[in-house]
Amino acid sequence: MGAYIDGSDQAFRLLFERYAPILLRLTRRHLRSDELAEEIVQQTFFRLHGARNDFRRGSKLRPWVMTIAMNLVREHWRRKKRRKMTTLEVETQAAPEPEFMPLEIRERSILLHAALEKLPTSQREVVELHWFQERPYAEVATIVGTSEGAVRVRAHRAYATLKQLLVSEIRGDE
Amino acid sequence: MTKGSDRAGPGDGLGERLRELDPASDANDRERMDKMFENVKGQCAESDKTIAGFFRSRSTTVRRLIVMAVFAALGVIGWYNFPLVDESVRTGPWVATLLVFCALLIIAMMMVTHPVHRPELPRWQVVCLVCVAVGATVLAAFWPTSGAHAITHEHTSRMVAGACMGFGLLLGVPVYALLRLVDRGNAFGSLIAAAAAGLAGNFVLKAQCAIDTTGHVLLGHASVAVLFVVGLGLVHYWIPSK
Repeated sequence: MGAYIDGSDQAFRLLFERYAPILLRLTRRHLRSDELAEEIVQQTFFRLHGARNDFRRGSKLRPWVMTIAMNLVREHWRRKKRRKMTTLEVETQAAPEPEFMPLEIRERSILLHAALEKLPTSQREVVELHWFQERPYAEVATIVGTSEGAVRVRAHRAYATLKQLLVSEIRGDE
Repeated sequence: MTKGSDRAGPGDGLGERLRELDPASDANDRERMDKMFENVKGQCAESDKTIAGFFRSRSTTVRRLIVMAVFAALGVIGWYNFPLVDESVRTGPWVATLLVFCALLIIAMMMVTHPVHRPELPRWQVVCLVCVAVGATVLAAFWPTSGAHAITHEHTSRMVAGACMGFGLLLGVPVYALLRLVDRGNAFGSLIAAAAAGLAGNFVLKAQCAIDTTGHVLLGHASVAVLFVVGLGLVHYWIPSK
């Protein structure tokens, strides 16, 4: 990051190569659209470029980019809500799963996505960052802008809800 | 997954199920990544050439100092070039009103320059600031700072109120523009800047307009803040920024 702040294009590319795939996975699960996720990731790096002079050398960059990306995702949903998107639009946008995915797995995936979407945004964010992105609670707290305790409570509630929603499926697996 | 007590994720098979949603997928697709990187690079290069890009890429401290310096410069210019209200009008409530406007203006500036790498400000804080800003300008109309009312004739008073409103709106525009120039893209930046512009207009009007009848202040001063917030709020609602 230091080299990038000093103006190195090569450093910018390295940062992009390192963090873009992570962010792409993060935003895809939230937005359920490849196109939108790519747009958000690009916007994240554009904002990172603008904010680069705020970066303190030696600190971690990952929480930075993740916070910017999560802010953009929240803003996207707020705008979407404002535009009062119809249910039909939501349905057509959902589940951009790869075509080669077997039918059974695809159905399971749709069920899981549906369960995740039933969670409040604040809980879904925590599950996303803690479970999928493997971030410790302290870092999740920094990214979502709350205390570590609150993050733990949100995660606990989210996992409990998910278990309830997927209980029949999980039992079926055993 | 995560370490120590952080490891405590979902058990009872849920973890396995959630993992199914996390395939490596084609996120590492080289060609797509290259294309995205070129897009970002192009956007950054384009932004770096603009004045807004220059200001926005300064550190948060520098951006805040720039805004404060511009506010101070405008204040000094106004102080020496335009007459302040008569000394008899410069009472305690007058000073208190100016201080309140000034404090709100600084809070608005801090919110607009909020760093993008921090979690965005809760919506209630933005709504609070906008309501308090507009409310303060309206309340100022019901808190006369002096007993002297320079103009009593209704027709003339209305005309003067119109002039005050125009002057206030004109003064608010550069403040709005300046705050938008240093705003890196906060979700409600436009609305906060609008409130700040209304406050700046009211600050100058309060400092220089000797008429403090409720009707005049409501029509000529508070309307500036209302027009900025409602007008730009509607523009922001219908045409959201990119």
